[in-house]
Amino acid sequence: MAKLELRGVGKAYGATVALRQGDLEIEAGEVHALIGANGSGKSTLCKIVAGSVRPDRGEVLIDGRAVTVRGPEATGALGIGIFYQELSLARHRTVAENISLPRLPRKGGIFVDRAAMAAIADRHIALFAGVAGAGFGADVPVERLRPDQAQLVEIMKTLASEAAILIFDEPTSALDRAQAERFFEILRERKRAGVGIIFISHRMDEIFAIADRVTVIRDGETVGTARIEDTDPTAVINLMVGRHEAASADAPPDTGGEDGRASQSAAQAVLAVRGFSGPGFRDIGFAVAPGEILGFGGLHGQGQSAVLRAIFGALPGASGEIRLNGDALQPTGPRATIARGCAYISGDRSRDGVIHERPILENVTPIHFLRNRLGLAHPARLRDKAAPALEALKTKFAGFGHPVSSLSGGNQQKVVIARWLIDRPAVILLDDPTKGIDLSAKADLFALIRDLADEGIGIVLYSSEDAELLANADRILVFNGGRVTRVLSGAERTRHNLYRAAYEAA
Amino acid sequence: MSAVDLQGGAGPGGRVLAIVTQPLVVATLLIVGLLVLGEAISPGFASAQQILRLLIVAALLGIVAAGQNLVILGGREGIDLSVGGVVSLSAIVAGNLMNGQDGGIVPAILACLATGAFFGLLNGIGVTLLRIPPLVMTLGMLGVLQGLLVVIRQGIPSGLAAPALSEFVTRPFLFGLPGIIWLWVAIGLVMAFMLKRTVFGHRIYAIGANEQAAYMAGVPVRRMRIALFMLSGAFASVAGICLLGYSGSSFANVGEQYMLPSIIAVVFGGTPLSGGKGGYTGTMAGAILLVILQSILTTVNIDESGRQIVFGMTLLVLLLFYGRGRAMRA
Repeated sequence: MAKLELRGVGKAYGATVALRQGDLEIEAGEVHALIGANGSGKSTLCKIVAGSVRPDRGEVLIDGRAVTVRGPEATGALGIGIFYQELSLARHRTVAENISLPRLPRKGGIFVDRAAMAAIADRHIALFAGVAGAGFGADVPVERLRPDQAQLVEIMKTLASEAAILIFDEPTSALDRAQAERFFEILRERKRAGVGIIFISHRMDEIFAIADRVTVIRDGETVGTARIEDTDPTAVINLMVGRHEAASADAPPDTGGEDGRASQSAAQAVLAVRGFSGPGFRDIGFAVAPGEILGFGGLHGQGQSAVLRAIFGALPGASGEIRLNGDALQPTGPRATIARGCAYISGDRSRDGVIHERPILENVTPIHFLRNRLGLAHPARLRDKAAPALEALKTKFAGFGHPVSSLSGGNQQKVVIARWLIDRPAVILLDDPTKGIDLSAKADLFALIRDLADEGIGIVLYSSEDAELLANADRILVFNGGRVTRVLSGAERTRHNLYRAAYEAA
Repeated sequence: MSAVDLQGGAGPGGRVLAIVTQPLVVATLLIVGLLVLGEAISPGFASAQQILRLLIVAALLGIVAAGQNLVILGGREGIDLSVGGVVSLSAIVAGNLMNGQDGGIVPAILACLATGAFFGLLNGIGVTLLRIPPLVMTLGMLGVLQGLLVVIRQGIPSGLAAPALSEFVTRPFLFGLPGIIWLWVAIGLVMAFMLKRTVFGHRIYAIGANEQAAYMAGVPVRRMRIALFMLSGAFASVAGICLLGYSGSSFANVGEQYMLPSIIAVVFGGTPLSGGKGGYTGTMAGAILLVILQSILTTVNIDESGRQIVFGMTLLVLLLFYGRGRAMRA
């Protein structure tokens, strides 16, 4: 009998189906890896086990008994311990206190038993003796720790729950090799003690090093479970890719021109970046040729967004060489880069784009003001400028004076994009621009982007939707752990190659 | 005028309702209603002479509220609690510089504008570079100004208004209206033009509605915010000079009475405390309304403390009203 079993679990948010058919079976004494592409539903699956999301249908069984998990407290009582990817630590408290935080040992009902707490801390810190690094100790406040040390504390906290089922959601992302290996040793020990472990990772090498079985989720459905000795990384990626690869119609026909364009010298490139490093990315280099759409791919949050924001000047702390049409560009801030002809379109339009409740006209004009150093806003003249830009995107709106908030999400994003089109930019940085907009708006947007590229504007497109990237980018840089690990061009642009590069060890 | 655009999109049926519920229309109706009420309580309340006097007082408040309006429009909890201190300080500085002589008017105006803008600059720096919340920053500045006033008044006399200044504020100048009314009208026109027809104005709304988006669109957010606080200080100092002309000589904390009413006038005029929308036309109506309300309260013998209570309640009721409208739309 399985220690933990999920049968046909599903969850929908309105019309969006996050998880269609989740099936998962964890035996006592096994490490079970869970893998799936961006948005495949694996985090929803975990949240259901963790009790933070209630499934619409299906069953969760522990030791063969159907249970309803109601929130984090209940999770502990049911014997489930979870490591959260976004660490859940009390920053101002000590390592020892954080380790015992979910279950503080008590004396007389209300007092914290500090001796017991110190014992628990010492036991777990000893597990990582020799690899935790300098400055790590039971009495150190978490805020003074390095990121890898903080991640170790989260791991210790999860282990300290002594739960029979442990879930680790990307527990090794900040760890160095020695720390990760020690962690795997500890997992093997727990496994021998009969603990069932769910291990989520994007690193194929880790999965094959530690897991006994692997389950693949694709488009919200469990598509297969295999014993690790019966499979190999290619087979796993094929499972993740599924029918898409068979169809193989994702990539546009190879025009043969991209490689030629790509190899043009940096002097001819619209945008050339060399040795670019900053928060979340390291040593990035690429060149965008005129007429080229350069794609950024890979798993979510591997540095793609950070690179685009840093080039635009909205992310301080980056260094390296950027050349725009051959001239050096100092990304000191959006004002400076906009004046030089940079455009940046964020996927988070509500935060970065829309000037809420203001008229549509005021939402289209700010870049025009800046590029032309205008002081006066002449409504009639501005309307004449804004109309063709909105028209180019087939924006549906009733009047320039209507508040932008009266439009649909897709049309709001079109208004935000239109502000960059009145005065043609030299380069357009698209940071997952189609997030949350409808299909027809996406089609309008990509048709326009291709036209702009043909006009000679350099385009960099990051998309979290692989299909979008494969269909629109001439070349794809695959990001992995803040670096570009592969460049796919021409016929190499397939979903299989994209996944392979994204899931390889960095 | 500004309010009409905000209601765009309402159908023909909703349009009538939209017009009736517009802050500007509501304020105008209330002004007429309060005048009728005042006349009923005390015959002669709504006489031409009396209305003129009310307008002069309203102009003083309205000029302070112009700066307050700009700071509030700029969003991020923007508010300027130090305006009262700047009004008082300017009145003293101006009184001493002109000391009853017309020749001192120009230096006094320049010195006061510089003083107001300077304290506004400090407010702006504190809010942007030091990231102090505007409420705390400007309240602290008010404390500094009040202390400064105490020190100053120990050393120098209160000073006297120049005759030309008093005349400007109290004597008819054009079409039977004194200069200060015309100054206020001019400020109203300039404010409306600035907010609607200049890039600076559009940027004020942009940083008020979504600061992050404005930054990403190349708006110099910090410089803008500092400029708004400086303008607020400058408007308060203009009001301080006019107040000196109105009362003949300055006295301690003469400007204290402007802090709360300047905020109420702005909110009454349709600019929510969260910023990003609204305008000055409504604020002008709000200022007139408040002055009439104050006058009625005086007429029925409610003392200063009673008036303070009524004003405080008015602001809270207004915030309840507008706050609810915003939450429902979000």
